[in-house]
Amino acid sequence: MAAKESIVGSPALRYEGEAKVLGYAKYIDDLHFPQMIHGATVRSKFPRGRITAIRYGEGIPWDEFTIVTWKDIPGENTIVHLLKDHPCLVQEIVNHPEEPIVLLAHPDKALLRKAVDAVTIEYEPLPAVFTIEESEAPDAPVIWNSEAGDSPNVFKTYLMEKGHVEDVWATADYIIEGEYSTGAQEQFYIENNGVIAEYSEQGVTVWGSMQCPYYLHHALQLAFGLPEQKCRVIQVETGGAFGGKEDYPSVIGCHAALLAMKSGRPVKMVYDRMEDMAATTKRHPSRTRHRTAVSKDGKLLGGEIEFAIDGGAYVTLSPVVLSRGTIHAAGPYNWPHLRIRAKAVATNCPPHGAFRGFGAPQSIFGLERHMDLIAKTVGITPEELRRRNFLQPGGTTATGQLIKDPIDLNGMLTRALEESGYHAKRAEFAKTNPTSPIKRGIGFATFMHGAGFTGSGERRLNSLVAIEVDDEGKPEILVSSTEFGQGTNTILCQVAAQTLHISYKDVRIAQPDTDRVPNSGPTVASRTAMIVGKLVEDASHNLLTCMRASGLLEETYTPEQFCHAALAYKQQHGELRATARYQAPDDIFWDDDKYHGDAYPAYAWAVYVAEVAVDTRTYMAEVKNFWALQEVGKVLNPVLAKGQVEGGVAQGIGYAIYEKCVWKDGVMANNQMTNYIMPTSADLPPIHVLFEEVPSIHGPFGAKGIGELPMDGPAPAILNAIEEATGVRFNHCPLLPEDIFDKLANPTLISADSSQLQPAVAGPVFSGTTP
Amino acid sequence: MIDFELTRVGTPDAAVQIAAATPTAQQGATVRFIAGGTNLIDYMKLDVETPQHLVDINRIPDLAKVEKQPDGSLKIGALVRNSDLAQAPEVLAEYPVLSQALLSGASAQLRNKATTSGNLLQRTRCPYFRDLAYAECNKRTPGSGCAAIGGYHRNHAILGVSDQCIATHASDMDVALMVLDAVIHVQGIKGNRTIPIGEFYKLPGTTPHIENALEPGDLITHVTLPALPETKQIYLKLRDRASYEFALASAAIVMQVQGGRLRHVRVAMGGVGTRPWRMPEAEHALEGQAPGEGVFRAAADAALKTARPHTDNAFKIPLAKLCMIRALTTVTNA
Repeated sequence: MAAKESIVGSPALRYEGEAKVLGYAKYIDDLHFPQMIHGATVRSKFPRGRITAIRYGEGIPWDEFTIVTWKDIPGENTIVHLLKDHPCLVQEIVNHPEEPIVLLAHPDKALLRKAVDAVTIEYEPLPAVFTIEESEAPDAPVIWNSEAGDSPNVFKTYLMEKGHVEDVWATADYIIEGEYSTGAQEQFYIENNGVIAEYSEQGVTVWGSMQCPYYLHHALQLAFGLPEQKCRVIQVETGGAFGGKEDYPSVIGCHAALLAMKSGRPVKMVYDRMEDMAATTKRHPSRTRHRTAVSKDGKLLGGEIEFAIDGGAYVTLSPVVLSRGTIHAAGPYNWPHLRIRAKAVATNCPPHGAFRGFGAPQSIFGLERHMDLIAKTVGITPEELRRRNFLQPGGTTATGQLIKDPIDLNGMLTRALEESGYHAKRAEFAKTNPTSPIKRGIGFATFMHGAGFTGSGERRLNSLVAIEVDDEGKPEILVSSTEFGQGTNTILCQVAAQTLHISYKDVRIAQPDTDRVPNSGPTVASRTAMIVGKLVEDASHNLLTCMRASGLLEETYTPEQFCHAALAYKQQHGELRATARYQAPDDIFWDDDKYHGDAYPAYAWAVYVAEVAVDTRTYMAEVKNFWALQEVGKVLNPVLAKGQVEGGVAQGIGYAIYEKCVWKDGVMANNQMTNYIMPTSADLPPIHVLFEEVPSIHGPFGAKGIGELPMDGPAPAILNAIEEATGVRFNHCPLLPEDIFDKLANPTLISADSSQLQPAVAGPVFSGTTP
Repeated sequence: MIDFELTRVGTPDAAVQIAAATPTAQQGATVRFIAGGTNLIDYMKLDVETPQHLVDINRIPDLAKVEKQPDGSLKIGALVRNSDLAQAPEVLAEYPVLSQALLSGASAQLRNKATTSGNLLQRTRCPYFRDLAYAECNKRTPGSGCAAIGGYHRNHAILGVSDQCIATHASDMDVALMVLDAVIHVQGIKGNRTIPIGEFYKLPGTTPHIENALEPGDLITHVTLPALPETKQIYLKLRDRASYEFALASAAIVMQVQGGRLRHVRVAMGGVGTRPWRMPEAEHALEGQAPGEGVFRAAADAALKTARPHTDNAFKIPLAKLCMIRALTTVTNA
């Protein structure tokens, strides 16, 4: 019987892997519909202003074009996320560069590009702000104001308190302050945003590259004023997302649908790389300020944390990004007293959005850099400081959540430091660094990441999953959870196969189509394995219960008997289908007003160690080796899990020392692959992926979330290592060679002495070989 | 991409005849030769290049050979692929700087396609030149202005710039050819002629759209490298990431050390100039000197004296100096 061999935990082949490898998987730009034409967007080239006129220049056969402005929107002119401040198309006031104003469609793509250039937007400029500091300045122009916001230019604030932090300052041995900041980061999925839309009397249909079909489904209902049964969204094969296709498909999807409605023809909109980089969402830039009271033996007595993120011009997802960042700002440590004030501010940059980690990489960067500062100040090692303050089972997190899982952060730290040879390397580098032009260092970060929606989010999502048996007697999973390279299809099929005691290859999963699959929630927030996986397990059990109740299936059976029983059931009843709906665990409580309680049903825990080399002649830092140890509950598929970690670490290395979004008045100035430096595989060190598995009761077979965790730790671990190497504190990422140069430039370091240059294999920057 | 006519030719004469119909050999030429296509097709897709007629020269016989000449020079055909050239035994043995430069560029796939003549004509990667959304680009549209000067220009040139253009020359191969005193052989409507590489590239000045000395109809048939005495050579490339990236600064050096003195010193740099940048000031400062840190530094200072940075690329001056010093140090000790 198939169940004897465990399918869960095995490296099952990717469900859609063969189609992708052999090239028959169809992505959005591979699809062509009869009569289909192409759509393009006329965008603002200024950050803020009042439109006075739209001029359609000469030399373009405008009568051949479909032209859409806000006036053509049948429903509400809004892209709904949390608030309705974000227009689908600008009506009067432009609030950021690259804001969509006019949509054009035409069969000829080349002519379409000329037409976009021929549209001129005349406007009266309005004052604008581009950074957190400019937005919060007392004399800042008010660029965003809504009753739903907390004050002018502020989308959202949170106040999270534990104990009475006022009481600790007087008795603290040390009060340590620090400010840390992070830049924007581009998701850089391989496939740009793209959709095809069709409109008829039956309603509107959008096919596209996306994470969350039901988000777009909802956006279409509002923009078109249509009931839900007249809106249909179908996810096609999606070439990466990383959060960048969480909210943005609602924008491009509504746009293409408007053009389809007006032209009466299917309309394809696929952004090119430059448009995608300039106009779509990125990771929120952030600033974290710490003020920490510490005893002389290195105990955290209390702290105040101010966390601010730049949300861009509209609210979009900023409040939830802020929420996750706020909760993760406290890290895996015991804080007797803590106050966190957090805010998301408005600027006239394109709206920032979801990106793997969702606020946590930002606040964890600040905290883990600050922990190393505290250690230095108190005079103990970074390791010892963490050991003295780790959360323990029975302890409570900053939100007052009782730690029930048997986590052992001290044990994990010991293992990670042993695996990486941390102590020996520290000693070695201390010896070699003074005389070497290449300064080496090793540093680490300890952190956790909550799986699933924050607080009562999962209750509100109320996810539903179904399993249906097809005409061949094979069960098909029906979920809106999407595959975009991370493994959703594979792990959900593994869970169903294991639960149903049948072979992995006999389980199918439906293409996400809102006409067919129930809403199992968005594919975000490290929730798919744990939350949706558990629902697939439950639905599988329900299917078996149903089959057994009918008398067609025995208590034990072979896969063939399952198939026969399923077909017999279908013959008798017409269909065989089971569902499972999310039920909040009884012991999970969350108070949204006080920001207190069980923030997440489960956390993944991690220790990441980075070894770096900084060449003091080129000022380039390079990650030479990396160890990623994490406890993620049961690993459902070791190959996919390892891939998630390797990819996340690579993205984290980019975030730390390569990927800089250069802004000029709200415009991304380096929106090309040549100028936005993403590391290649040649820049990546060996990444040693290590798992510990403590099964969680909340996920299928004990699994927890893993998708976002690996993005959180690399940047602080790497900058901690760079401080170890150079002795210089850097508190901003990305940290580029120019930044290191500014602080390190010192003639005594720039030595051309030949003996020092001999081991000059300075990694990626050194491409020449000695002749 | 616009529609275009494609003609395959079998002889240089046929190629030259067709191309001579175009009024210009530069940007805007209505007829272009195509070899590897790694640069031209890229720009045609972006509508930066819009030739009406492509002449495919890949089938012209004998242009893909690397041959030792009786006078000791090396003849490199226009169609020799970058990867083949990098691995040619004569190049590895006598001109290793060229091999190193080639292998530091692009990716293996691109090097397998890209050719010697195409690399000589490689166009800048200035993002404002590449992106039609920016109307201002004197190189693309003469007289329209320069979006880079007021824009983001971290990787733009610091040497040879003008008020009209600061676009960096992107090639690695051509920097090595500068120190090897390569000679470019051209067949044109008036016959054959040669152009020393030092005279091949034009400074942007007030005509950034004119990039080289070619005339309408000119076909590069081959390149010759003069015979060299035994020398030490190096190509050192500093860049933002380990692969698939253009130089922030690169140094090509050919030299001899005789009796403790530097002789036959040739220095050129890439990533810093509007054309591959030979550095006679540095050569002068090094020639005949005993190698050492002070001498190297003085050479680097002299070479970068005329550098003219803008806001984002000032770091390239110290970086270029470090690059040159490090290359000199490494190669003298080799």
